[in-house]
This record gives sequence, C-alpha cells and structure tokens, in this order.
Amino acid sequence: MSAETPSAIGAVEGAAYGPDNPAPYIEPPRKRTGRTPRSTRGNFEMAAWLFMRLSGVVLVVLVIGHLLIQLVLDGGVSKIGFAFVAGRWANPFWQVWDLLMLWLAMLHGANGLRTVINDYAERPNTRLWLKGLLYTATVFTILLGTLVIFTFDPNIR
Amino acid sequence: MATPTMDKVEAEAVSSPYITVTFRIRRFNPEISDAAVWEDFQIEIDPKERVLDGLHKIKWDVDGSLTFRRSCAHGICGSDAMRINGKNRLACKTLIKDINPDKPITIEAIKGLTVLKDLVVDMEPFFQAYRDVMPFLVTKGNEPTRERLQSAEDRERFDDTTKCILCAACTSSCPVFWNDGQYFGPAAIVNAHRFIFDSRDEAGEQRLEILNDKDGVWRCRTTFNCTDACPRGIEVTKAIQEVKRALITRRF
Amino acid sequence: MKIHKYDTVIVGAGGAGMRAAIESTKRSRTAVLTKLYPTRSHTGAAQGGMAAALANVEEDNWEWHTFDTVKGGDYLVDQDAAEILAKEAIDAVLDLEKMGLPFNRTPQGTIDQRRFGGHSRNHGEAPVRRSCYAADRTGHMILQTLYQNCVKEGVEFFNEFYVLDQLITEVDGVRKSAGVVAYELATGEIHVFQAKSVIYASGGTGKFFKVTSNAHTLTGDGQAACYRRGLPLEDMEFFQFHPTGIWRMGILLTEGARGEGGILRNKDGERFMEKYAPVMKDLASRDVVSRSIYTEIREGRGCGPEGDHVYLDLTHLPPEQLDAKLPDITEFARTYLGIEPYTDPIPIQPTAHYAMGGIPTNVEGEVLADNTTVVPGLYAAGEVACVSVHGANRLGTNSLLDINVFGKRAGIAAAEYSAKADWVELPENPAAFVEEQVERLRNSTGGERVAELRRELQETMDANVMVFRTEQTIKTAVEKIAELRARYKNVSVQDKGKRFNTDLLEAVELGNLLDLAEVMAVSALARKESRGGHYREDFPNRDDVNFMRHTMAYREVGADGTETVRLDYKPVVQTRYQPMERKY
Repeated sequence: MSAETPSAIGAVEGAAYGPDNPAPYIEPPRKRTGRTPRSTRGNFEMAAWLFMRLSGVVLVVLVIGHLLIQLVLDGGVSKIGFAFVAGRWANPFWQVWDLLMLWLAMLHGANGLRTVINDYAERPNTRLWLKGLLYTATVFTILLGTLVIFTFDPNIR
Repeated sequence: MATPTMDKVEAEAVSSPYITVTFRIRRFNPEISDAAVWEDFQIEIDPKERVLDGLHKIKWDVDGSLTFRRSCAHGICGSDAMRINGKNRLACKTLIKDINPDKPITIEAIKGLTVLKDLVVDMEPFFQAYRDVMPFLVTKGNEPTRERLQSAEDRERFDDTTKCILCAACTSSCPVFWNDGQYFGPAAIVNAHRFIFDSRDEAGEQRLEILNDKDGVWRCRTTFNCTDACPRGIEVTKAIQEVKRALITRRF
Repeated sequence: MKIHKYDTVIVGAGGAGMRAAIESTKRSRTAVLTKLYPTRSHTGAAQGGMAAALANVEEDNWEWHTFDTVKGGDYLVDQDAAEILAKEAIDAVLDLEKMGLPFNRTPQGTIDQRRFGGHSRNHGEAPVRRSCYAADRTGHMILQTLYQNCVKEGVEFFNEFYVLDQLITEVDGVRKSAGVVAYELATGEIHVFQAKSVIYASGGTGKFFKVTSNAHTLTGDGQAACYRRGLPLEDMEFFQFHPTGIWRMGILLTEGARGEGGILRNKDGERFMEKYAPVMKDLASRDVVSRSIYTEIREGRGCGPEGDHVYLDLTHLPPEQLDAKLPDITEFARTYLGIEPYTDPIPIQPTAHYAMGGIPTNVEGEVLADNTTVVPGLYAAGEVACVSVHGANRLGTNSLLDINVFGKRAGIAAAEYSAKADWVELPENPAAFVEEQVERLRNSTGGERVAELRRELQETMDANVMVFRTEQTIKTAVEKIAELRARYKNVSVQDKGKRFNTDLLEAVELGNLLDLAEVMAVSALARKESRGGHYREDFPNRDDVNFMRHTMAYREVGADGTETVRLDYKPVVQTRYQPMERKY
C-alpha cells in the first residue's frame, strides 16, 4: 500500500488486490497451532484459581472487620490518628491482621490483574512489559508494607 | 401428478405474508480489499423462514459472491455458525420472526478466528484445540467379545456433552478466546468432558492434566456466553465447572 | 496444479468414508478428500438407529434380518450381499461400541434396541426390537465416534477439497483407476491425487428434489464423476421417500417416532395405516407408508386448509419418553413449526430421502465396469454405491449399517489392493478436464443462472418422478431435463474469484445433478412395473418376469457429441428367498 492511502477503511479505488494478489486475511491474536507450546507449570494455574476464591473469602472478613473498627465502632473516623495506629501496632494480633490483609489483598489483586493482562493483552511484548510492571509493583508494595508493620517506631517523633 | 398438492402449496406461498427485511452483512473479500465492510441487502421473505433461507435468497438471486458455509440446514451439521444481531447462532436454526425483523439483521463471521472470506473463517485452530484434548475413547486390557457394559445412569452422566456438533458457536462467543486463541475454548473442554465422565474411558487423568494447562479450564471466567450460544442446548459452562471440580478433587 | 501421491485416496468423509479410512490408514498411506469438514457430513442427520440382530431385548437372528432386508427391497436385493450385511451387522455395532459410541442401554447395561419399520420377527410375524440407537441422534453419534477414531488413528484429511474427476488409464486393455482430480475451495487450486486405489464414499444425490431431507451438499458428485468416465450407474430409478418429513421443509422426523408408538392420522383423526398394512401398521416399510400418505391426501383426507399433509401424533406418549428417546425431533417441531409435540400432532409429508441406486459394486466394494468386470483400484461404499443390499427400497436403519459394514470392507479391500498393486500411470494432462470445466464456468458470459435452473429441475422432479409416476409424467421430466441441460451450457457465475468460490462450485454441482436426474428419469421410464420406491400408476403391479433385474445405465456419446443414456440390465442374485407378494 502506498503512503497516500493511510486509511484501511473501505475499498480503495483501483487497489492492487485481485485473485492472484489477495489482501492479507483478518487474523485474530495468538492463534492456536499444531506447535502451540505446551506449558509445564503443573498445578500453578489451579493453585492460583483456588487462591483467588479462598483469599477472597478471607479478605471479606479481614476488610469488613478493618473497616468496621476504623470507621464505625468506638467513636468512628474521628479517633484515627498517629496515636491510634501506634497503639494498634503495639499489639501482635493487629500486626498479624494487617500483615495478612496486606499480603492477601496484594496477591489477590496482582493475580487478578495478571488474569486481565492474559485475557486482554494481545501482543507477547505487551504482555511481558505489563506483567513485569505488575510484578515489580506488587513485590515493592508488599516488601515495603511488611517492613513498615514490623519496624514501626511509635517514638519516631 | 406425483404430488397433487404442489400447485396449491405454491398458490398459497404467493399470498403468504412476505415482509421486507434488511440483512446487514459484514463482507470481506481479500481479492477486492483488505478491509471488511458492512453491506445492506433488502429481501422479501416469509418471517417463518430461516436466516439461512435469507442468505440463500441473496446468494442465488442478488449477489452470487456472498460466501458462507452450510450443509444440512436444520442444525445438525454445524456448518453455519455466525454472529447474528451480535449473538452466535446457527443461521439454519434462527427464524426471521424470532430476531425482530423490523430492524436490520446484522450478520458477521464468528469472532476469534481468521476471516477468510465474508462469513467463512479458518476452523483449523478450533479443530486443533479439539484434537489436543484426546477426543476418543481410551481403554486398557483386552477387548470384551461383546459390548462393554454400562448402566443407564452412567450413560446419562455424560449425555449432555455428547450432543456437541463442533460448530464453534461456543468457543467463538468466549471473550477470553477472542483475545487469546491459545485458550482451549469451551468446545474442546466439552469434548474432553464427554470422555472424562464416560465410565468406560480410562484416560480421564491424562485429559485432566491437559486441561490443567495454563491455557486450560482455569482461564474460564464463567461469563455463560457459551451456554447462551450453544445451538444444541448443552450446558457448556456447567460442563467446564465440572471439569474444574474434577481437577480439584481428582474424582470423576 | 499440484500432484500428490497416496496409496489410497478416499473421496468423502461421512460414515462410509471415515469407516473405510480407519481401516485403510492402518494398512496404507491414505488421504481423505472431503468437500466439507468431516463432522459436517450428512450421516450426522440420521436419527433412528442401526439394525443388528443382537437379540439384547428379545429373540432375534441375522437370518430374519436378511429376510426383512430382501423383502423390504421388494426382492431386487442381491441376497448374497444382504446376508453379509445382516451377518456382519452384529460386529459392526459392537465395533462402534468399542470405539466409544454412547448407545442407549438396557437395565442390564447392554445396548438397547427398539422397533423400526419393516423389521420383523420370524419372517414377518410381528415387529421386532432390532434397531440399536442413541436417542434420536444415532447418526450424529456414529459420525462423531468415527471422526474421533480418525483423530486417534491420525487419518490425513484434505478438508474442503471437491473431487471433480475420476482418472482412468487403460493398461493392457484393462481400464484401471489412476487417481482423482480435486479442486481446493480455499485457494481455487487444482490438485491431482495419484493413487493405487480410490474409494468413493461421497453420499447421495437428493438435492435434485425440492422437498428433501438431504443436505444442500448432497449433489451426487461421486456418481457423476464415475458416470462421466463411462462407468455404469445401477438402479438409479429407485429413490426412497421418507414418510415423515416436516411439512414443506422436508426435515426428517425419524421412523423411531413411530417405533416408540407414534401414529399417523388423517384429517378425521383416523389411524389410516391400519387399512394399508394390517400387521405392521405405522411400521410398514417406507415406500408403503409414503404411498399410503399420498393416497390419503389425494382422496381428500389430508389435513390443513390445503389438505396437503397428514399428522404424526405423539400426544399419547408420556413427555418423559419423548424427552428421553426423541429429544431432537421434538425440538425440530418446536423450532421450525412452533408446535408443542406433547400436546399437538406434527404436520408431515413424505420427503425425498435416499438413493438406493448408485455406483455398482460387488460385496468387496469393488466398482463394476459392466455386469461382471471389476475396475482394478476403484471402490465405492455407502449411499454412493449400489451393492445392492437395498434393492428397490431400503429398510430404515439399514443405511447406517451399510456404511459401517461396506465402508469397513471397502477400506480393507482397497488398502490390501494398494499394498500389492503397482502404480498406474496418470493419463496425459490429467487435470485438463477439470481445468477446462472450471475456466469455462468462471469465464462464461451466458445469461442463465444456476439458482433458476436448479429451481426448475427440483420442481419438475418433485412434480413428475416422486412417489407416483406415470409414463406421461416421466416423459415430461425427461424433456424438461433435456431443456435444462441445453440451457446449462449458457450458465454463468457472478463470483469470478479464486478464494472460496462457492458460486462456481454450485454451478459444478448443478451439472452433476442434471446428469444424474437424466439417468434417473430415463431408467424410471424404462421400468414398466411398480416395485419398492418406484411406483408406476400405469403399471401398478410388480413384474418379476420382465423386470426382476437391475438397471445399468451408461453414458453414450454419439459421433456428433450428443450424449444419451444407454440402458442395460443385470440379473439379481437370489439364494434363499423366492419372490413373494409383499404385505405388511
């Protein structure tokens, strides 16, 4: 196609296509072929699928509990302050609660996004970059969050 | 006269309530252009006729270059799956009166497979996925002299998925498949299900392993598009869920 | 043009073709050429069942089955072949079960069986349960099971390849098969397949009728390719009209519906089959029931405002039984007629269903060049062939049997022949005929349209050579066909392209239909008697003195290029059974 016909919409008058010189077919992304590579990842996909369901259930409890305490009970939003957080993280129970919530929510979300990328990213390169970004961000957030929970210093001021 | 009533049939056909319907068809011919375009055809048709009859009227009387696959014309061979008014159906099982003939009826090729010409797509990747699930009975040991015994209940267990005609309506209605043709797709899983739950078969474990693949059943998002699309009334999504359950419990 | 070399080439991937392919792939390098994807074949539309004297539910034996087949065929059946069919039926069913076919089961877990038209206990005493079935989808299950096993065996398919010509080379005075020429639909390219043996399994030719249960693709391509190369066609005047097609559409409603207890009724609600077949009633053989229906209609007892159909009544059967045994046909009634079969009777009329005649073969599937001579390397099986196990009228469930028994036999015979035979030289310029044909149609500027000619052909066939025929109507048809053949020379197509040019292929198929319609009409005109599916009102009785013989039709080309049909006759093989009057 010449540079003067940038649009691919509609037949171009006098286009060079014919029975002996056909246009390219309209291909879908990532066709299955006889050589489609077979994965050797074992039960990873099943584990991921199960994890989504189980973590979802646990997160419902964790998140709703978290929100209730933070926003409704015991005076509600107005009580939240540096001191409140400091008080909570002094207790190992709340440390574990928040740590669990952080890990499960991050992994759940990241796995969900991985699925979305698998479903919607058409080109292999796009997939690679998006997933790379996703994994980096996930790891970074999880590590940072964990660090903060355990090394939180109430006397920082 | 061999068929004494034939004249009367024709006489009635003339006076029958023909209506004018617009078929809006997505045309693609690589020998003319590299782009697909919508083309409108107005035809006179009895609303009790099939969409396939309408396509034939166009092909036979208006534009012979309109290309589509068809054979049995009554929903058994699975040749004419297409996207009619945005839903995957068989053209030979869809009556005009059932899809609101007041508005233009849009017809396009099924999605997710290479369009070769007009409504004809490349079915090879679809059949490749089918072949990849070992769609045949596997047994061990010596063959019995007579038939293998199977109780009526065991036979009933996989009855639903034996109905599949491989028309690809389900697979090409799946949003996951649209964007990633390497997903096995509903039809292949249905045909694996047919053998996994057949009491005579002994390769269920292998088939489950194949479908445990990263492009296997775990990619199903339970959107139920496949169940809606199936012209044979197979509960496709349910079959996929049953395979998932069998994978988790390893019981089938 | 591309040239391929295979030991065995199978034309068609329906039941017979795939059954043959399963055998021949194990024994020789095999290619299957099919104009559709294999699972689109019309075997899948068969519903009722497959007969075999398994005796799973009641006493039965293959000799009774042989008798029923011979009697059903109005004694025009070659009895040696019928015996093989009935005897090997049992293994054919068991083979399919072992391949995975999901038959319905008895409470004991064996294959269930049900009644079917014309199948009787002890030579006509009472209906017998002989049909092995899978709901009303037996054909679908057979087609799927065979395809599954083709996948298992790694059969090599060439999908959407139209075989348009049979290649024959004369070696030392013997005409041998050298291969076939095929047209690839996807690219428009022409392929020559050189093969030691060729098996035709390309199915029937019902599309020359308007009201038919046949698929759009059943256009007699195999018969026409052989006929054009000077090979005979046997018994083409015998065509089966299935009694219960959906009114006007012709979609098949299985005989199993009557096997399950369905009843045919006229406008007065009368069970009219009691008059015509006191013993078998609604389960008399198909030709008898079809004629009875048309007799009712002609005598003014038809249903509806036009009085042009009768009813198939299933309303007295429990809905659970309909759901379990007849799910597909009840769905057809709902989809296409908007009728609920639980409560309302279904309007039906006879529909053109099955060609008893075809390419003559012996019991090994070898094609005959005349009454006795075999064409080395050429085989046929299924509806395209005429063994003849169906004679003048096929019994229901015997076609699914035919494709399995003779498909397997032809597959083995052809592969064994390929193993020992030498290659036959291709004729000079092997693709010339097809290239010329395709180019002529593509470039023609004539004013005739394919659809119009086909419509006229179908109308004249429906009106003149359907259930009732007379000398007058057949002559009308012969003249009309001659006119259409002349006009066909001026036919042109709108699609001039190469890719998926179905417009062009429909024109080719019309040519095949016209050739075969002519053979059918000419054969019917010469048979001045009534037998099985061929009913002449001017000769209402069977004439065993003059017509107990098979028709053999040959294409003759005169010095001036005019084509005519030359008729010859072949004796019927009779072993056990002497012809008797046929009553049900």
